[in-house]
Amino acid sequence: MTVKYQSQRVAYPYFVIALLLFALQVAMGLWLSLQYVFTIPQEIVNLFPFATSRAMHTNLLVLWLLLGFMGATFYLVPEEAESELAWPKLAVFQLVLLVGTGVAALVGFLFGWTQGRPLLEIPTTLDFLVVAGALLFLANVGVTLLRAKRWNAVQGTLLGGLVFLALMYLFGMPFYRNLAMDWYYWWWVIHLWVEGAWELVTAAMAAYMLIQLTGVDRRVVDRWLYVQLGLFLFTGIAGTGHHYYWLGAPQAWLWVGGVFSALEPLPIALMLWDTWRSTAAGRKEQPKLIWVYVFGMAILHFVGAGLFGFAHTLPQINYYTHGSQVTVSHGHLAFFGAYALLNLSFFYFAIPRLKGLPGGRYNERLGHWGFWLMTCGIIGMTLAFAVAGVLQTYLERVRGEPYMVAQEPMRFWMLIVFAHGLLVLAGVVVTVWHLLTLAPPRAVAAVAGTPARAEARTA
Amino acid sequence: MSDRLAKAIFWVGTLSSLAVFLFMTQRTHASFDALTHADKLDERVVAGKRAFERHNCNDCHTILGFGAYYAPDLTRAYARLGEDAVRRRLEAPEVVFKDSYRKMPQQHLTKQEIEDLVAFLGWVSNIDNHDWPPQDSPSRWKRSTERLLGSAAMSPAAALVSQENCLACHSLGGQGGSVGPRLEWIGGRRDADWVARYLANPGAVSPGSRMPAFDHLSEGQRQMIGEFVVSLAADRRTP
Repeated sequence: MTVKYQSQRVAYPYFVIALLLFALQVAMGLWLSLQYVFTIPQEIVNLFPFATSRAMHTNLLVLWLLLGFMGATFYLVPEEAESELAWPKLAVFQLVLLVGTGVAALVGFLFGWTQGRPLLEIPTTLDFLVVAGALLFLANVGVTLLRAKRWNAVQGTLLGGLVFLALMYLFGMPFYRNLAMDWYYWWWVIHLWVEGAWELVTAAMAAYMLIQLTGVDRRVVDRWLYVQLGLFLFTGIAGTGHHYYWLGAPQAWLWVGGVFSALEPLPIALMLWDTWRSTAAGRKEQPKLIWVYVFGMAILHFVGAGLFGFAHTLPQINYYTHGSQVTVSHGHLAFFGAYALLNLSFFYFAIPRLKGLPGGRYNERLGHWGFWLMTCGIIGMTLAFAVAGVLQTYLERVRGEPYMVAQEPMRFWMLIVFAHGLLVLAGVVVTVWHLLTLAPPRAVAAVAGTPARAEARTA
Repeated sequence: MSDRLAKAIFWVGTLSSLAVFLFMTQRTHASFDALTHADKLDERVVAGKRAFERHNCNDCHTILGFGAYYAPDLTRAYARLGEDAVRRRLEAPEVVFKDSYRKMPQQHLTKQEIEDLVAFLGWVSNIDNHDWPPQDSPSRWKRSTERLLGSAAMSPAAALVSQENCLACHSLGGQGGSVGPRLEWIGGRRDADWVARYLANPGAVSPGSRMPAFDHLSEGQRQMIGEFVVSLAADRRTP
């Protein structure tokens, strides 16, 4: 099994760099959790404060997820459009540009070069390079699709999501004099990304994989894709209001945010059901690992984003939980379930084909270890954050204890977070190693007559 | 389900939500000036916001509940701590948090930056955001304070607080100055002995403090004030 179009191969370097950044992101997360548990000496805090490591942790997340989405787009667009990419070399240049910008930003953070707004710390100068990279990307994909003139729902959704994503980034660039307005538009980037544009990208990538992996009829997938998108955008756009309760906006947002965001689990449940229904329509012969990933993604997306999000989205609850570790708990499971697993699923789908492994088969054993280590680690971490968050909510918000008094009993739970973080890191290292060294299983390798590979494996 | 229906769900869902969102955005813009007291948003406040971003404060602290969760929320920090304590934290965090299990970096802010940040936090503390966060809600302070003041009006300690003019700098039940911390806030973190020692010589307990020493009072009087202040802490039984 191999790729049909040569230009699909530009996806591979995107995947490799995304995976390495993922490992770095998780390692940085471990250091963050330790700072909650132990007292870090003043000299170290002065040199490398929590703020810097947090900026690195979150920006690495955004960078590796976006590079994964872009690589996946370059992989699936030629197949869907049935034509080569317009400019494959430009795709490589775009990768160099974006990774260069990302590295400059990360090094800059160490020296205090920052825009100073959470998740959008990349300085304005570098923002323009990001925009340039995004424009190259959209031009490349857009021209390929326009030339091919073979439109379908998957492509349309993907391109729509990517344009939406790029447009929203612009709202994070200016300086806002009024802090409340600043946060109002900050959420246009962050919320409308993760509960808007990124969900479109996810829906498109997931639909593409389901069509390839199962015997489901494309017209059925397309139809449910429209319904899913309609629900995602119906709940997601006005659902932005659940961030507007306490920032100095009118009280009506408590109603709008509460009602719309309470419905947000629906489209995710539909997506889970869709995965179930499509695979029931008949699975093609595939390595078992890809099903573990596809179902893992569908389930944890629903639990992390849908259920954990719903738990504190109503204003009556959010009044007490807002800005506490409860948010952190939801954030970690949602990002892992929805987006990290989406990218990893796609990598497990695409890399065997990019490497031309016979029958798309490979030795799966390490991959299963990687998945379960990561997943158990993240679930344990999420629960520990949740306990810390409930403690904080009760002690600080309900009882009115001062912040540092309330933090004291939370330190133990941050140690539990760290312990599970070790599991996650182990899982990530195994997964990255496995993905980068995918090799055919022994039996297949022998039949296919690739003794060199088989020897390398036994050596 | 037909294709037509699926597409109709998509367009109706997306456009109706977008319409609500844009209408609410327009309403929000119309209300921001009043809710955030934009008339008080002067160049000092804006300079303070720039300093706040330059030093990446928001990647440890939350403000309006947004940001990182590693350090206290700053929405009402100005009202809770008072100007003097905010200034000291910015000037010499390594001194203020010497005994704390969590540190704040010394970023060598200029005098101007510190004044700008104080102005910024002062402006933020007045944003009308539906009484969030709950721990700093004035209704919570007032409830416990009023109950106490009702019975404490004739107490010798209350008389001392009034005689020594503590409310020139501190606030109590929403009344008083904003140089020092709210009196109600102190009891959550300190005990009466600590307050008594502090009154005798603030600089010795908390280096850099600008509060004058109350060494003209007797040890017993200082202890009485300490017990009074600690008893003002938010009532824990009825949140």
